[in-house]
Amino acid sequence: MPAASAIRVMVVDDQTSMRAMIRRTLQDLGFRDVRDKASATEALEAVRADRVHLIISDYNMPEMDGLQFLQEVRKDAVIGKTVFIMLTASAEKEIVQKAAEMGVNNYVVKPFAPAALKEKIERVFGALT
Amino acid sequence: MRRVAIIQGEHRVMAEPGVMLTTVLGSCVAVCLHDSTAKVGGMNHFLLGEPTPGQEVRSEDMQRYGIHAMELLINDMMHSGAKRERLCGHVYGGANIIAGLGSIGSSNAAFALRFMEMEAIPIRHRDLGGNQARKVEFLPFDGKVRSIKVNDVPPVQKPQRIAGNDLELF
Repeated sequence: MPAASAIRVMVVDDQTSMRAMIRRTLQDLGFRDVRDKASATEALEAVRADRVHLIISDYNMPEMDGLQFLQEVRKDAVIGKTVFIMLTASAEKEIVQKAAEMGVNNYVVKPFAPAALKEKIERVFGALT
Repeated sequence: MRRVAIIQGEHRVMAEPGVMLTTVLGSCVAVCLHDSTAKVGGMNHFLLGEPTPGQEVRSEDMQRYGIHAMELLINDMMHSGAKRERLCGHVYGGANIIAGLGSIGSSNAAFALRFMEMEAIPIRHRDLGGNQARKVEFLPFDGKVRSIKVNDVPPVQKPQRIAGNDLELF
């Protein structure tokens, strides 16, 4: 069982309040190393420079959206296998299916309860301690 | 002038002249956003989670509804050509008029102001609190807006529960 405190997380969302809320939720779940960025471009640069275990990214962002971000991550030889969980503002089936084809590990529909995020993370990492 | 009424839980973004978005608010809050360069405007109408008697709802849980409602509006604004850095807003509602709902109106108003501050969206006009309902009329193309105190209190619906995820692909 992995310790949540040992998992490094990058949260990407263009909305400051959403990043703050996800950060608080993750901290409540025991995560200690949570970084965040307001754009996929900045996040990509940051995770290339300092790798993380888990990326939690919004889909709906200006410039590079969540799918393009996922694609950039997956084709990168170094960070390509990073766990990627996508957040969508509504259950848009096409986007979720596309993300699944592109190798997303899981997705969460907003607004989500902390337990829902925990469950999606645990489906990838196993039960967290 | 075509009038489009927004009810609780809805939001609407429009970029055409000759349209007015309207809503009637009690303890709910409506945020109107406008981008004067793209000539796009949008309005929502939301209520944070409703605490039921004897059951305390954590303020964090309540905020999830508000953050989500605002995100849907902002996403649609940007899909219609608005830019986040050009947005300005108007905030209305948050009256404490319904017995049994305590100060939910004040909580809604406080949330909306905090959200706008956090997202660095300047507020052009606000009309919040008190104990009377308001009718808001917003011209999304021009960005003009007014709120009028009214005596009709709109019915309040319980906000949707935080849903699970509908699609099972994993």
